[in-house]
Amino acid sequence: MRTRPLLLGLAVFLSATVLLADASLAAEPKRGGTLRVSYGNEIANLDFHTAPGYEMMWVAMNVGCGLIDITPDGKFVGDAAESWQVSPDGLLYTFKLHKNVLFHDGTPMDAAAVKFNIDRMRDPATKSGMRPFYEPVHSVEVLDPRTVQVRLKQPYAFFLHMLAAYRTGLTILSPASIQKFTVDDRKQGKPGAIVGCGPFKFIEWVKGSHLAMERFDKYFVPGLPYVDKVVIRVIKDPVTEMAAFKAGEIDFIASFSPEHVDTMRAQNPKAQIMTGKETTPMMAAMKVTVPKDGKPMSPDRAPHPIFGDLRVRKAIGCYGIDRQEIVKIAFKGQATPWVGMAPPGTLESVNVNSMCPYDQAKAKALLAQAGYGPSKPLTLELMTNTEKSVFNVIATVIKEQLGRIGVTANIRLVDKVSWMNTTLGDGPWDMYVEDLLSLLTIDSNGYLSTAYVSTKSSAWSHPRHTDTKVDDYYARYAKELDSAKRKALAKEFLEYMADNMYWNTISGSPFYMVAQPWTKGYTYNAEFEVHWDKVWLDK
Amino acid sequence: MANGSEPVGLKRRSISGGAGSEAGLVVATEVAWPRSAERSESPFAQGVRRLRRSTTSLIGLAIVLALVLVAIFADVLAPQSPIASDQTHTFERPSRDYPLGTDQLGRDMLSRVIHGARVSLAVGVTSVLLALLLGVPLGLVAGFYGGRLDGGIMRVMDLILAFPIYLLAIILMVIFTPTAGVIGTMKVVGAIAIVRIPIYARLVRGSVLSVKEKEFIEACRALGQRDPAIIARHVLPNCLAPIIVTTTLGIATSIIVEATLSFLGLGTQPPTPSWGWDLKANIAFIQANAWLSLFPGIAIFVTVLGFNLFGDGLRDALDPRLK
Amino acid sequence: MRTYMLRRLFHVVPTVLMISFVVFVMMRSVPGDPVVSVLGDAYTEEDAIKAREAYGLNKPIVFQYFIWLGKLVQGDWGASILSGRPVLQDVLIRLPVTLELIVLSMGVALVIAIPAALIGALRQNTWADYTATSVAMIGVSIPEFFIGVLLLLAFSIGLGGLLPSSGWVYLPGTCPTMLCGVSLWGNMQHVLMPAFALGVGRAAILTRLLRASMLEVIRTEYVTTARAKGLSEAPVVFKHALKNALIPTVTVMGLQVGFLIGGAIVVETLFAMPGLGTFGIDAILARDYQQVQGFALITAFAFVVINLLVDLTYTFLDPRIRYS
Repeated sequence: MRTRPLLLGLAVFLSATVLLADASLAAEPKRGGTLRVSYGNEIANLDFHTAPGYEMMWVAMNVGCGLIDITPDGKFVGDAAESWQVSPDGLLYTFKLHKNVLFHDGTPMDAAAVKFNIDRMRDPATKSGMRPFYEPVHSVEVLDPRTVQVRLKQPYAFFLHMLAAYRTGLTILSPASIQKFTVDDRKQGKPGAIVGCGPFKFIEWVKGSHLAMERFDKYFVPGLPYVDKVVIRVIKDPVTEMAAFKAGEIDFIASFSPEHVDTMRAQNPKAQIMTGKETTPMMAAMKVTVPKDGKPMSPDRAPHPIFGDLRVRKAIGCYGIDRQEIVKIAFKGQATPWVGMAPPGTLESVNVNSMCPYDQAKAKALLAQAGYGPSKPLTLELMTNTEKSVFNVIATVIKEQLGRIGVTANIRLVDKVSWMNTTLGDGPWDMYVEDLLSLLTIDSNGYLSTAYVSTKSSAWSHPRHTDTKVDDYYARYAKELDSAKRKALAKEFLEYMADNMYWNTISGSPFYMVAQPWTKGYTYNAEFEVHWDKVWLDK
Repeated sequence: MANGSEPVGLKRRSISGGAGSEAGLVVATEVAWPRSAERSESPFAQGVRRLRRSTTSLIGLAIVLALVLVAIFADVLAPQSPIASDQTHTFERPSRDYPLGTDQLGRDMLSRVIHGARVSLAVGVTSVLLALLLGVPLGLVAGFYGGRLDGGIMRVMDLILAFPIYLLAIILMVIFTPTAGVIGTMKVVGAIAIVRIPIYARLVRGSVLSVKEKEFIEACRALGQRDPAIIARHVLPNCLAPIIVTTTLGIATSIIVEATLSFLGLGTQPPTPSWGWDLKANIAFIQANAWLSLFPGIAIFVTVLGFNLFGDGLRDALDPRLK
Repeated sequence: MRTYMLRRLFHVVPTVLMISFVVFVMMRSVPGDPVVSVLGDAYTEEDAIKAREAYGLNKPIVFQYFIWLGKLVQGDWGASILSGRPVLQDVLIRLPVTLELIVLSMGVALVIAIPAALIGALRQNTWADYTATSVAMIGVSIPEFFIGVLLLLAFSIGLGGLLPSSGWVYLPGTCPTMLCGVSLWGNMQHVLMPAFALGVGRAAILTRLLRASMLEVIRTEYVTTARAKGLSEAPVVFKHALKNALIPTVTVMGLQVGFLIGGAIVVETLFAMPGLGTFGIDAILARDYQQVQGFALITAFAFVVINLLVDLTYTFLDPRIRYS
């Protein structure tokens, strides 16, 4: 009797049925439940158009809606916009909105609302940090209640990127609520003041305790969101956060400290630890100019006594730092040593590592040329802040490395607010270690690295270089619609930045999100797109 | 001056303010002079004898002495430099070369713990001594001269005491801006000292007030003794015992405050080895490398315990009525 | 006596105001101001100057203080410069959490101290005595945050998450916001570790005090009578010692409040509790002036009032003390 093959066949058949059944069961998202999210930092305030910090932005992405979103592989998908067209000359963007997009108070989200919000972002009175990116916009027109058209003054290759995911991109709030309530009302999350069009309705924010949002039943995508509520808590101490995660008290960690990833993995083997190519640069920035007359923020600049000299910048920033070693020690090898201004994960980023190999001899030679040596040793101050402990680790390693080329670096550790005051306020500093912002595109780094030539120039360009050629590059890059030409321009631009050491990247700064095994449906896209509408809890 | 005819009283001092755990205690402002055959022995000799009988105090003393030795001879005792980072030997497990392993930057933990003793002891002792040096004269002056000077000084003392200890220390450190090295340590010392000054001031002032009521002060003055001499000869000895006890226990408290400030990131900054900082910085790695965080923690614990045991023993020895 | 009490009461308000003034000035001596955080990405020097004017930060400090005081008298505690949230509202939301933490910490201290004192008094100078006092001594020698971390390791990370590591569940009926977990059991679970971490250190002093008081009772006739009657000593000692020690215990506990408020800052930070401690330290670090004032105000007020009560109780105890 050929029982063996028969039994085998039966087994295969049964397992196949079970697997298929399992797969179909697994594919079916469950509705309901509360998604418990944990943040490592406090939310600043809830005025979506002006508040700083990713913590606020991630709330905005779920309570507000935008026109479009961007996927991890750089493609655009519609949010409130169903479809869109770009004119061949790149000056006209026409967006067609979904039917039935409603604000949380029941009023329709229409083209007029979009126009209102875009105009608001462009208005200097709003003081939105996104305003520089709306410069190319000439005007916004309402063609019909569901169609809105934006006319640009000049081509802007990253307009869609900007709308999708520069910071909050374009977050659409109800014009009625904006007119009825004040900025302070929105900042503190007064009931009724925050009216968006996203999948979740804002319930309340109790700073220090939680932020809660619940499903918006009339969300324009039927069936979404799956979970009933999202509750965000702030747990600053990573050990406490890990304890809460392990105990199953939270379902999703929105930004996890890279230092503890190994411990997290060891404690929770089944957890989903999500990361990608780094989009945030870890920098050892060097101050290029100082105010000539000693008055901070003065547009009259004089070269910084140490780093005003390009040779010193290159000696220390380019050849004097062993990036491999830093990555090994600070990130246990789980980051990319990098030189270019745009980190590895940024769109159209270029690897210019070959321009700055670790070369002690070259560094010493350049220092000698600049007049430093055993008879005139170079001493500088290396500032860093306490926001992330890895900054101090990197600073310590750099100090040791600089010691090898005869440079003494004294570490000055300050808290984040002091650091911001010193750097933004043009205070005295020589070099600092920090990771600034996550960069979707090279273009998004504009206000962090343009020339400082007037009090209207961006204060965020900490090194305060005065090279307007950088501004030219940014302008040309943003205007170039031809992808091949743009990539070549990017290479030229990044090489120029590396050659002049206006921006000194050491490595990428990794970003992690952690989810419980039962938290499903989340699509990871770094800090740029954090959406909980498709998340469901399998328990 | 001691004579058994004085009433042995236990005056309860109102030391309002919670800045020091020992400040709230019933503090004897007079050392008890027992009427006994041993009266011929000096009170301190009696105290020392009582101390010798108490095992726990001796244990405390031993710990304190060991600590002082470690702190003084740290350079010799520590096998390596506590601040030199060795990138090729990070997170080493305890071994012959690295008895307590190495931390994230390859620094030898044993050396860091040994040198940390220096910082902790320095902060503990200096802050308390500074408070003493400033507080005792203030208390003496306030108590002795009374009047508006007393009122003024005690207003300021009350103000400082009105702050919960950590609140004031935190704000002071934020103002001073935490740094590394000797200067950074001095800032912490300053912050803690400021908070502790009122304890001494009130202690001494209370003592002075109680002695002032006595007639022999008038007699001394009548005999032509001058104020500083009166203070030195009659007032100070009375409060010496509580001062010693307060100081010893105060060192223990100061070390804990320093560790807590470091936990909040407001203490001595790296690379200066500080137990509090090492404890906090290495908590992250407690799963895989628990000793990195535990050893500084144990060091703090043992040190503070030593001072507490010894201080307690001193208190019992110098006033057995409290036992 | 009466005049003394009235005089002390009269001093409460000026003392609290003085503290608030000192804090006001100290905060403005801290390097850096909150405007950078407020403006965030949009920071330009022009806007910063305008913002400082708008928030009144460029006026003389004393001026600013009186503006704050003026609003305070009308019941307006100001609003956070960063989040716009009214300070009084947040203080009231956070107060119950810290209050509960402090009260339960003292409870923990008593739970440790009473048996330790009892053992110590009944078995004076034996090994049991030494052990009991040592246990209390150990508690006061470990920094609160370290105990907290060890507890976290043991009960939250280890033992399969027996106790929650962070957050808060309110007692039934005390939910200050629209959304909160409310349950007695949940509340107990959340407060247990923090209260323990905070309270353990306070047990030492209470042990000493109670032990001394119990020893006094032992020397009296109560105990010999009880022994003669064949009753066990412990309950007798306990009952009478407690009566004896009640007031001094309460006063000592009152004096501990200073340490508790400070310790609460650390413990709340570690266990991510939404109390006044985290409120205060976050405000200080962020240079959120209005919030710091609110925090200082309520802390100072509680502190001054408690100290006043303690001093008055001392006066009851020993009327011989003269207050100049």
